[in-house]
This record gives sequence, C-alpha cells and structure tokens, in this order.
Amino acid sequence: MNKVRLKFSKNGPIRFIGHLDVMRYFQKVNRRAEVDIKHSEGYSPHQILSFALPLSVGATSDGEYLDMTLNSLDSIENLITRMNAVMHEGIVITDGKELPEITPKAMTIVAAAEYLVSFRQGKEPDCDWERLLMEYYSSEHMETQKKTKSGEKTIDMKTLIYRMEVTPEHGVHMLVSAGSVDHLKPSLIMESFLHTQNEELKPFALSVHRIDTYLQGQDESGTYIEPLICREEDGKRVYL
Amino acid sequence: MNEKLALSDDILLSIEKPERYIGSEINSVIKNRDEVKLRFAFCFPDVYEIGMSHLGIQILYGLFNSYPDVWCERVYSPWTDLDRMMRDNHIPLFALESQDPVRDFDFLGFTLQYEMCYTNILQVLDLSGIPLLSAERTWDDPIVIGGGPCSYNPEPIADFFDLFYIGEGETMYRTLFDLYEKAKADGISRHDFLVMCAKLPGIYVPSLYLVTYNEDGTIKAMTPIADGVPDHVSKEMVTDISDCYYPMNPVVPFIKATQDRVVLEIMRGCIRGCRFCQAGQLYRPLRERDAKVLEQYAIQMLKSTGQEEISLSSLSSSDYSQLPELVDFLIKECGDRKINISLPSLRIDAFSLDVMNKVQDVRKSSLTFAPEAGSQRLRDVINKGLTEEDILHGAHDAFVGGWNRVKLYFMLGLPTETEEDIAGIGDIANKIAAEYFDTLPKEKRGGRTIEIVASTSFFVPKPFTPFQWAPMNTKEEFLDKANQTRRGIMSQLNQKHIKYNWHEADASMMEGVFARGDRKLCKVIMDAYHKGCIYDAWGEYFKFDTWMETFREDGVDPFFYTTRKREQDEIFPWDILDCGVDKKFLYREWQNALSEKVSPNCRKQCLGCGARKYDTGVCMEERE
Repeated sequence: MNKVRLKFSKNGPIRFIGHLDVMRYFQKVNRRAEVDIKHSEGYSPHQILSFALPLSVGATSDGEYLDMTLNSLDSIENLITRMNAVMHEGIVITDGKELPEITPKAMTIVAAAEYLVSFRQGKEPDCDWERLLMEYYSSEHMETQKKTKSGEKTIDMKTLIYRMEVTPEHGVHMLVSAGSVDHLKPSLIMESFLHTQNEELKPFALSVHRIDTYLQGQDESGTYIEPLICREEDGKRVYL
Repeated sequence: MNEKLALSDDILLSIEKPERYIGSEINSVIKNRDEVKLRFAFCFPDVYEIGMSHLGIQILYGLFNSYPDVWCERVYSPWTDLDRMMRDNHIPLFALESQDPVRDFDFLGFTLQYEMCYTNILQVLDLSGIPLLSAERTWDDPIVIGGGPCSYNPEPIADFFDLFYIGEGETMYRTLFDLYEKAKADGISRHDFLVMCAKLPGIYVPSLYLVTYNEDGTIKAMTPIADGVPDHVSKEMVTDISDCYYPMNPVVPFIKATQDRVVLEIMRGCIRGCRFCQAGQLYRPLRERDAKVLEQYAIQMLKSTGQEEISLSSLSSSDYSQLPELVDFLIKECGDRKINISLPSLRIDAFSLDVMNKVQDVRKSSLTFAPEAGSQRLRDVINKGLTEEDILHGAHDAFVGGWNRVKLYFMLGLPTETEEDIAGIGDIANKIAAEYFDTLPKEKRGGRTIEIVASTSFFVPKPFTPFQWAPMNTKEEFLDKANQTRRGIMSQLNQKHIKYNWHEADASMMEGVFARGDRKLCKVIMDAYHKGCIYDAWGEYFKFDTWMETFREDGVDPFFYTTRKREQDEIFPWDILDCGVDKKFLYREWQNALSEKVSPNCRKQCLGCGARKYDTGVCMEERE
C-alpha cells in the first residue's frame, strides 16, 4: 500500500467547477489513467482520496493538494505523467511525493494558505485602498465579526495574518491562517478593511488566486509553516 | 484550452450551477474556427443535466466532429435564473465549446424528445436572436433543423423550423452538409436551398407544403408548393448498426447528469408491438448490434471517459439474442475495476434475476414490472404480453432471491378501459404482497417486509401507433380514474404495503394536444411563450391556466386534438411522413385492439407492418 500526496493547479474556465465535482473529476481521471487506487470496503466501494482544503467556486489556484491511497505504485513521476495525460488542461499535477503509511489526512494538517487577491475591473474601492490597507494592517488589532455555525463571533485577524503586502500589479499578496480551526477568508479581510473606510465590498469584487496551501510544523528553531509539499531549496518555510 | 467565457464572472457566480455554461468537459471537441467550413450548434431544449444524458446527441456530435470541415457544438436551455439575466443584459445565447453566439452558426439543430419542450425551442431561438418563424429568417440566420421522436409529428412546431430530419441521423447529414456548403459557395437563395433540401431523402421542409382543411377542422390535403418536392417523406434508417458510427469518446460532464454513465446501445427497434408505444413502431425493424462489437465499445468507452457505470440501452433488453454472452463479458470486465452495470428494461425471469443478483445489491434494488393495465382483458387490448402468472411467478422467484421491493407501472385512460380494469390494479398489487407472505414464512423475512409502489401515468395517444385513432380522456376522467385506483388499492387486504403515485393530469392533456396536433397550434405555442411559458416539462414552471387562456384567445379548441374520435379515413397531420409502418397495418391493429385480440411478436410471426421493405434486422430472421 502506498500513500501519495499530489499538488495540482486549477486555472481557466474550470475555476467554476465546485469542490465535489473536482473530486468526481479525479475519480474519473484515476479510472482513465488506470491508477491502482485502493477502494474502501463494502458493497459500494469508493476510491480512497481526499483534498487538503476546498477552493471556492470561481477561484484559481497553483497550490491544491490531494492525498490518495494506492495498492501499488511504480514511481511518483510515472503516476503524475499518466494522470496528466488524461487531465483537462486547466488542472495540472505539478508535484507529488510519497507519504509514510501513517500520515494524518491532509485536511487535518492545513494551517495556512497563501493568496493573491485583486479587485475585478470596475470593482475597485473609491478610496486610496493600497495605502490605507497597509495602514490597517499595521494597526495593533484587526477585530472583525466572523460568521460561524452558531452565530457571529469577534475575532482578531491580526494574529491570523502572517504576511500581507500590496504588489506592484495592484494585487494583495497574503499568507493567512486556514484550515479547520482558524480559517480566514481573504474576502473577510478586504470586507472588514473597507468597512473601516465606510465602503462596502462590491458583490463578486474580488478575484482570488491561491498560491499555495501550508501545514504547520515544529523543529528546534520553533513553530513554522510551509507548503504541503516543500523542498528545502524552495525556501518557503516561515517561522511564526 | 479555450479561455473564453461568454458570461462574466459576476453572472457565473450569481447563478445556480455555473458549470452548465462553461463547456470544457472532458472529450468535448475544440476546433479552430478558421479551419472549418460549417458550424453546427446542437441543442437539447432542456436544462444541461437532462440534455447531457441523451445518447442521440452524443452520437451525432461525435459523427459531425469526425468530419474535418464541420465543428459541432452543444447548446442547452439556460435555466430560468440565467434566462432572466440574459434577457436583462442582452446577452446572446452561445454554444458551449467556443462560447460563440449561436446566431453566427450555419445550423441550429434541435433534438425533439418530448412535446413539453416546445416552448424551450422558442426560448433558445429568442435568446439567440434568431427570428422565431422560419418565414422571417435570412441567410444571416442559421438553418434551423429538428429531429428525434417528436419530429414524426412536427406540425405543431412547423412554423419555427426550416427543416426536419425524419429518422436516424447517421445516414443523410453528410449529404445535407455538402449541399449547404455548395449552396453557400454558389450564392443561391435560402429559399432555393430549402427546395433542394426537400428533395433529399428524409428531409421534410414544412414551408414547402400547403395545408388545406375541411370544414370540421380536419386536414383536407397537404400539397407540395414547389417543383420536385415529394408528396411524402420517408424516414432514414441505418440498415447495419454493427457497422455504423458510435461515439467512443462521449463528452463527460463535470456535474452529475441525470444519466451519468457509459451507454451501450445494444439494438434499435422492438419486436413487441405494444399498441400504445410509439417507439415500438418508429424504430422498426428490430436491429441488433453484434455483441463482439459492443464488447470493444465498452472497453474503449470506459477507458476514454472514466465513468464508473455502464448501462445497456434498448427498448426491451431481454429480446437481445446475445444478452447472456454480453452480460458475462461485462461482469468479468467491470467487476475488478469496480464499475457498476445497469440493466434497465429487463423482463423479470430466472435469467434476469440471476444477472441482477450478480451486478447489484439485492437489498437495495427493486423489481420493476410494467403490466401497464390492471386486467388481462385490457392487457390484450394494448397487446402487452405480460400475464398475471408471469408477474406472480417472477415475483415469487425474486422473493426467494432476497428482493422485497416491487415497482409497478400502469397507465390510466387506455382505450376501452372499464371500472373492472382499474380495480385490477389494486388486485394485482395485493396478490404480489400475498405472494411474498406465502413465499417467505415470517422467520425467513429477516425483519423486512414487502414494499410495493404502484404508479400510474395517463395515457396519451401518439402518432404512428394503432391508438392514433383513439380518443384521449379528459382531465376530469383521469383524476376520477386515479381516485378509483386509489380507492381500489385502499380496499385491499395488504394495502398497508402498497404505496400509490399518480402523475399530473394537466401536463398529460397538453402532451396530448401537441402529440396529435396540427399547424394551427404554432400560433398558440408562440403566444403562450410570449406570455411566459417555458420549461413546461417542469411541474413548478408549467402554467396550465396560461395555456388555456391562450387557446381561448387564439380560438383554438384543445379538445379537438385530444378527446375527439377520429374516423378511419381521416388524414392526419403526420400522414405526410412515412415511418416505415403502413397506416393500413396500424388500423388493423386498432381493430384487433377493439376486439381484444393479441398479435404475436415479430419473431413469432410477421404481421406485414411494412418494415420488411428495409431488408434488414428481425425481418430477415427465420421465424421460430
């Protein structure tokens, strides 16, 4: 039995394919590529595969992750080649690695996500938002209301944003807490910021691109976050 | 990758299931628009998930795209949420692959699978910016062509179409495309092109026929009004279906379609001759596809789609002579790959129970019987060769095999139906329950019990069937019969185990009007559309009152088409077409029905229906 983690991108028109349909898509990719995937037991067996972090409909990404359990594996490179050969051009597997047999599920270890967020044309705020946003980010607290299943609660976004800057192309590059515990949506940051300027975020104003998805780890230097598949030379490890 | 989307992100994010409109599916075909000569937009006028479940489009889509000079794309009805936005924002309807406006295409083809989609045809034309009436179109508009079962009586929608293709699409489209390309190159007029089309086999050009009426509103004559236009149009048919195009790489939707699986069409046509059934007449004679060919198809299609289910498609799979070997092959191939096999339209007998036992979870699945009528007398009238003994025997074997759920399908409003026939529905359901209790003593039921669901639909007489002469019931009669059925079931000893469902009567009446309608209905359909009728096949959008109001305003009596008794010599609107079965034969069968006389199936005895002229299929087999 082999566990593998694959990294993939999602771009172009199929950004409108929802999370569950991406799952069904990969199940079909596996059958087309004749991947020797393990199935669950029982009368209606299903492929054992799971995703790290759902991506909202309409968002693009270069950092999605998928874990699969296989009955056999010749090599990760072969697997990726075979799968990419039967994929839609908008979804490309860009990296992969074999995991130890006992590994927590990807979705349980997600700690952060890196985004590039920009305003769609004609949906930019009226204020001098690039300067004001950075001012907002430099304040000591960034309190806002977050909707939860049991109502609203006040959170301080400051502790959940690890990095944020405005890019020369007028985008906002951010690394923020994500996952099952403290999930922070980029839109909540932008919405809360605009409220401080007495502006509203226009409907569907933000175009969101996820750059990568991060897990949290610990070593002698402290607690860090890094992409789910990360090589030392990537230099993407961030100590908190 | 086609990066272009016809709809803005704003719109796509604010509608239900944006995936319906973005194309990009696996196996969808992208060509270079500058390298093709002819662009065909193929429309199933209903929502994406329904349209994507249809095998016919997949066949013709693949066939057309196999021609280097043709690019065929798909179009479906925008759902009501997008429909409103497109009208508000003046966004023209587009084809999925290129996302280009439909109006710029050379052809717009509609598959006509059921009558209740007619207003959706107008929706698609309207959103595309194409004039609704053929008479108002110019070379700036696509040629609008219809095909499929409802094109066997195209008269209610005749004004909206330039052409109808009668019969199986595989045979004549290439010739039609060549003619079109030549006409464009030669710069001939659109009208002259239509006249040329009318001379092709299988092509019916409604605008080239003048319809005259008798005083009572029935048809006096349908006369060609241009030189060389034939009196009748005969259906096109594939004679060797083992050696014809089949789509090895069908388009795989991202969202779940209603039928989301590989479909193996094992045969066309049916030997049974049930007298209510239109498909059983239209697709004669029965032609089987070779099992060896199908096995290759199955492997290739599973490989190219990655689907997790494969289904056999035909009108009556049990009549497929190579069924055992095909099923054995599929069980072997699919078992290891965890692929489900679906076997619809099987007669319940020892063989099918054994097969079903192998391919599905008995505890989850149910048995389906379609007696269609509650008494043997009425089953003889409709020529449904299923006896009560067959049903009870099949049920008995199934109960022993572990099944405990039974579905029963009946029709109400069949010709000659009496109260006793209706009472028979409750009786047979009760007998099946009793059979369960007799077959399995309490200790063998494993804590389960029998569950029966009986459903009735209302009978709608269809063209080219022996019942095309039959009066249809009124809505009141239908509802009264549904109540009788319900009371009949409630009075049974085992009534607690029987659930009863019945269909909408309003929609059945409209279906009846369109099914045997004539050209006078074109105006009604257009007016109802302008009053907001679309998606009539969807109960929540069907506006019966608006339809009735439109009939009144247009001075058209809907009951003329439904409840009226038709005489033997009446000229029907569809008599201009020839589906391969003679009207004389159909009338003979109508008389046999009235005298409760059953007719043998095609394998037992040839009844001389007329389909022998095709020299193929069951007509050429030696009789038993």
